[in-house]
Amino acid sequence: MRYNEKELQALSRQPAELAAELGMRGPKKGSVLKRRLVKLVVNFLFYFRTDEAEPVGALLLERCRVTQEEPSGFSISFLEDPERKYHFACGSEAQCQEWMGALRRASYEFMRRSLIFYRNEIQKMTGKDPLEQFGISEEARFQLGGLKA
Amino acid sequence: MKLHQKSVLSFFRGCRAQAPDREGILLKKGARNTSYQRRWFVLRGNLLFYLENQADHTPLGLILLENCQVEPRLGATEPHAFTILTPRVEGTGGRAYKLAAENQEELGAWLWALAGASCRQLVALLPTLEAQYRELCQAAGQEPSSPPEGCGFVATLSTPSSFQELHEHFGKEIRVLQVVRGRPQASNNGSNRSQAEEEPELKSC
Repeated sequence: MRYNEKELQALSRQPAELAAELGMRGPKKGSVLKRRLVKLVVNFLFYFRTDEAEPVGALLLERCRVTQEEPSGFSISFLEDPERKYHFACGSEAQCQEWMGALRRASYEFMRRSLIFYRNEIQKMTGKDPLEQFGISEEARFQLGGLKA
Repeated sequence: MKLHQKSVLSFFRGCRAQAPDREGILLKKGARNTSYQRRWFVLRGNLLFYLENQADHTPLGLILLENCQVEPRLGATEPHAFTILTPRVEGTGGRAYKLAAENQEELGAWLWALAGASCRQLVALLPTLEAQYRELCQAAGQEPSSPPEGCGFVATLSTPSSFQELHEHFGKEIRVLQVVRGRPQASNNGSNRSQAEEEPELKSC
């Protein structure tokens, strides 16, 4: 599947939601924990060698599962292949919880669902659509299903 | 840099049962071959996939839509043409994807869908809505609840049907055409009327 590396590079330079040096181990058997600068930008996770400006790699954070791995670590796996895990080692339990929370909220799908949730709740409570003020109330991706079920 | 393609393919394939934000045929100008090729495009969130055929298991390619500019391209050889311009990276220009829709209505609908397709938009909106919701809960003496969590998987959530997205077919011709350069968007009052006007058109298609 073709993609433009420059687009990803540009994204990796954007302000990050979270960035920290973590231990990281790939999903392949026998892979070793390495120190990486890990950076969360929108729904992508970039990881860099600690002294380099270009990321080594990028993961798309959609349809993934974030699981705690003792001690003070977590793993990311993708729904379609749950045994294949990317492992991360944090400096503390607090850091681990911070990363896990941020990663779970990072996907576009999660944000979209949250937006729809708040929109629906606000509309129920006020009778008004909070998206109207932004001029996006008609957009298909923010629509609720009809209550036909 | 290695993009872990399995993470992307997992997303692409896992979502196939759900309607995307938009999909359809677009003409795409090749990078080397300068003729337009007919491709099936699928927009989900901030990712635009293109396939050789609608039913293909693997996309041909991916365009990342974060911080892109989408503009109609007037004066192009192909009618209903537009460009997706990706951001620059230190000295090298962004790449311009040259695309064309099959008709004016499709052009307008795609421009509108692509213009809003960034995570950043959602990130900007969410805190405002969340704050508004919490304030309302506080005023009502109600305990605020949280939106369903989980890294983008829907299957295991017990969300009621009211949270499901209804993907409307873009038939709002007047409104979408107003996205084309220079024209102001219709107010929400206007859109209800224009939708009523257009329904007979949709039915006759």
